[in-house]
Amino acid sequence: MGEVILTMKDIDKSFPGVHALDHVDLEVRKGEVLALMGENGAGKSTLMKVLTGIYKKDSGTITYEGKEVEFKNTREAQDAGIVIVHQELNMLGHLTVAQNLFIGREFKKGIQIDDKRMNEEAKKLFDRLNVSIDPKETMSNLTVGKQQMCEIAKAVSFDAKVIIFDEPSAALTESEIEEMFKIIRDLKKKDIAMVYISHRMDEIKVITDRVTVMRDGTYVGTLITEECTKEDIINMMVGRVIYEDPKTESAVPKDAPVVLKVEHLNAGKMVQDVSFELHKGEILGFSGLMGAGRTETARALFGADPKESGDIYINGQKVTINTPQDAVDYGLGYLSEDRKRYGIVVQKTVAQNTTMAFMKNFMKGIFIDKKKETDVAKEYVDALATKTPSVEQLVVNLSGGNQQKVVVAKWLARNSDILIFDEPTRGIDVGAKNEIYKLMNKLVAEGKSIIMISSEMTEILRMSDRIVVMCEGKKTGELDIAEATQENIMNLATREIA
Amino acid sequence: MVKKRAFGKLKGREVMVLGIIVAMVILFSFLSPTFRTYPTLVSVLDNSYYITLMALGVTFPLITGGVDLSIGTGLVSYALIGGYLIIHMDMPVGVGILACIGMGLLIGVFNGVLVAVMDLPPFLATLCTCMITRGLGPALCGGFGVSWPSALSESGTFRKIFKFTTAGGTVVPIGIIFIVILVLIMSYVLNHTRVGRYTIAIGSNKEATRLAGVNVKFYHMLAYIISGLFAGLAGVAYAATYATIYPGAGAGFELDAIGGAIVGGVSASGGVGSIVGAFLGVIVICLMKVGLPFIGLQANWQQIFTGIVLIAAVLVDVVKKKK
Amino acid sequence: MEKIKQNALVKKVGFNRIVLICVLLLMYLAFCILTGGAFFGISRITNALNYAYFLGFLSLGVTFVIATGGIDFSIGPVMFCCALVSGYSLTTYGVPMALSLIMSVLIGVLFGTFNGYLVAYWKVPPFIVSMASMNIAKGIAAVFTKTQSVSWPQASAEGGWYRNFVNMNGFPVGLVVFLVVAVICAIVLNQTKWGRYILCLGSNEEAVRLSGVNVKRWKMLAYIICGTLVGIASIYFVAAYTTVQPGYGDQYNNEAIAGCVMGGTSMVGGLASISGTVIGVFIISLLQQGILALGFTKEYQYIITGLIVIAAVYADVSARRRKN
Repeated sequence: MGEVILTMKDIDKSFPGVHALDHVDLEVRKGEVLALMGENGAGKSTLMKVLTGIYKKDSGTITYEGKEVEFKNTREAQDAGIVIVHQELNMLGHLTVAQNLFIGREFKKGIQIDDKRMNEEAKKLFDRLNVSIDPKETMSNLTVGKQQMCEIAKAVSFDAKVIIFDEPSAALTESEIEEMFKIIRDLKKKDIAMVYISHRMDEIKVITDRVTVMRDGTYVGTLITEECTKEDIINMMVGRVIYEDPKTESAVPKDAPVVLKVEHLNAGKMVQDVSFELHKGEILGFSGLMGAGRTETARALFGADPKESGDIYINGQKVTINTPQDAVDYGLGYLSEDRKRYGIVVQKTVAQNTTMAFMKNFMKGIFIDKKKETDVAKEYVDALATKTPSVEQLVVNLSGGNQQKVVVAKWLARNSDILIFDEPTRGIDVGAKNEIYKLMNKLVAEGKSIIMISSEMTEILRMSDRIVVMCEGKKTGELDIAEATQENIMNLATREIA
Repeated sequence: MVKKRAFGKLKGREVMVLGIIVAMVILFSFLSPTFRTYPTLVSVLDNSYYITLMALGVTFPLITGGVDLSIGTGLVSYALIGGYLIIHMDMPVGVGILACIGMGLLIGVFNGVLVAVMDLPPFLATLCTCMITRGLGPALCGGFGVSWPSALSESGTFRKIFKFTTAGGTVVPIGIIFIVILVLIMSYVLNHTRVGRYTIAIGSNKEATRLAGVNVKFYHMLAYIISGLFAGLAGVAYAATYATIYPGAGAGFELDAIGGAIVGGVSASGGVGSIVGAFLGVIVICLMKVGLPFIGLQANWQQIFTGIVLIAAVLVDVVKKKK
Repeated sequence: MEKIKQNALVKKVGFNRIVLICVLLLMYLAFCILTGGAFFGISRITNALNYAYFLGFLSLGVTFVIATGGIDFSIGPVMFCCALVSGYSLTTYGVPMALSLIMSVLIGVLFGTFNGYLVAYWKVPPFIVSMASMNIAKGIAAVFTKTQSVSWPQASAEGGWYRNFVNMNGFPVGLVVFLVVAVICAIVLNQTKWGRYILCLGSNEEAVRLSGVNVKRWKMLAYIICGTLVGIASIYFVAAYTTVQPGYGDQYNNEAIAGCVMGGTSMVGGLASISGTVIGVFIISLLQQGILALGFTKEYQYIITGLIVIAAVYADVSARRRKN
């Protein structure tokens, strides 16, 4: 094993309300692939962003090639030889591969861009990496996998000494992953150090030398990949003490009627043959890691995105849902993880947002019945304990938790019976979180049914009556709360691809 | 090899537009014998010079995902100012021409600052400059039309760049040579220089381009400067073709150029486009302009058709993207 | 300053609106003094207003479109198309006056529907749609009238009664109609489902769609409302000027958008004020006529209006940037 090229020691970073990194250590050696693992929100990405200068660290030291460094931006990090290959690609779809590789640093011949030389250099680069991509091909014509290769090639072309792969395989097919591994092995031989962030246990086993595990912003430990098992890693990832009491048994009576039944739902790569049932008064948790296809399932179900096939039954009746309009008419309500984009109109008032989905009910002839609107909005403000000076307040001025309550009010005002909460407490502080939980429990007690998508294990275990686990666009399991543990959920969420 | 890629190979869209041109010529010739004459060809070309020049320039802002609506009233305004200097201030013709081009450049810089630096929506910003240039020429020149020197006069030599009459009375539209050279040059600029490369990059993904360390503001602005410069050149071509410039004209000229560019495959949402395509698209528009009266339709049908063709061209892109 | 902003009355009327009204009054005063009283007196004001109503209707119309986050700069030429086609029918084919007026409005509605359909259902960028329908409107008008200008009847002539819409025996009917329509627009925008959805989708179309609202329909509606008002504007244009010439109308786009943007309607959509538009239009009209009264030509109008819109849009853009 090579010598240490990069050491991060005692890295500490706080955001308002969140202690994102709590004295984290990381050590990378030349010619190794270090896996960086942890649940969503464990702090992996934040750590890498601190390393490459996107975030400024609060304390701690970064030692790179024997010298203490602090990069101000990705450009500086790049020049020093530390490059990130992002999950989302920064590509210029209309330009060719070679043009993309050398954008901003083109070869020139007089005033002319030397495309010929750029193509040759790109060809050389690809040859060295053993990939077959035509440098003259337009970028948008390549598969996502090939585009990913281009990103890697670009990283290599910067004479990188440390390459960070941020979930590089998320969008790749198996053969593409195989190809990427070949490149990684090659780079290893050239003594390049790599950090590999991924959730896929099987990949970790195949390609990495050591595994560093993080949990809730802290450093848990580092293992030699060869010497550990999947279970070891999972135990390190989830081995937290759960302070809130997890639910021990389902609160839903055995004979509760099925209000929503989804059969063989298909919508692209992220939703493959998903089936499940939702009972009246139930909170059905959807667990899984980032990119498991949970949000996509919800959006397809709700008619927000087109679906290819699948049957939906509501209260036993088969229904057709092609647009959100249909879904809302059938009593579905969707509370998006990205409230500001998909949930509320921030420049409008609390009252206006509350009535948005059900204007019909607030009309007096052709006019909006503003008194009724205000009264109903007030009712929900009181019932949900939304903190706002008045219902005439613009939603943009409310805190995240209270914005969420406004979205809840919108669906309650619509008499929606089936609510899909997508990451209901994301970006909400601890106190407000508990209120949202209380609210959800109250809703199911009143006979509503809830699908709760959550990436937080504690949230899933605390709230759900039953848990559906997804992985790579497929449903991998269903657990009753009585049998669910952090370990078996994580096991399903990271199931090897066959 | 590089040369061949630039000039020798036409893209699918260009071939399609070329096909449309051929079809139109055949259709018009078939329906009207008078269309098949040499003067008609000259007339089509005469009509195309200033529109092509505008289109060459405006392709750049279009590729960045913006638009320049000020070129139409702009070119008339610049030609007015140039002509005023020559006729009323007794300046040499060269100065008039330079003033015309210079004014275009100036307004281009102005547009560039509005869009790239001040971050105003391009269509609104240039709609304002469209109004401003409309007033500017007449305001500076006292509100009267001017006639540039006639082709026969001594100082009218510049007009021979576009149209040359031999001793025998035959008209030779040599302007087309000039235009083709400019098409080749701008095609080169778009495909083989950093200016063109970054123009496409900005239209493709502005943020990613910025992250790659490109001075996005500068190149974004440059697109509008190029557009302004070519509006200035178009002003000269317009003066050479029509001689008399009326104040207040020019509204709607930009639509012929932008319409031509979009028909030629320049994407309304940015990132895609070719100079040759824009040129061919303009020829389609000019053929309609000149050809429709030959088949018994008023010239103004061209405007209606341009509008419909414009939407059709964009719809093709929209539908393609949906797939 | 902060104190003034907190005042109950100021809050109710809106600080920006008060500033606008002050600007309007000051400008009026300035022009009165500079022109030696050319605008002073009720009759002079109403006389000046006769030439402003059509612009007011255009501005009201485009306010709805801008509220959705779109743009329509075909309104000027479409207005001319309405006036030309119906006017030509009136003078050449002997269509009765009442029918011609109805025709004017209908043509406006037709264009609005066309624009709205393309923008909402086919997702063609609004500026392309504007360019196309501008061209089509000009083309249709020119083809229909054989590129001749059209003169609507004088007040004394047969069918001249339509001019009473502007001014009946010195009584400013036009002002009353304009204000009534403005009030209706304000009610539609603020008190009805139509307006609510138009404003909300201008702010955040996706959130509204996910609330189960048919956003396409409401978006198209905004363009139809705009088209209707453009049709009405064409009546007020001919009632003031009688003669219409094919091939023109572009300049009114800018003036109408200027009134709208000055009144505080935001270019990104979601934020629109009818009362602001009304004041904005009065400011623009006063400015236009003041410039002429001061002895400048209409070219200066173009330049000054252009610069004002740029300033107003820049103020909007930079205010938003500061907020973020």
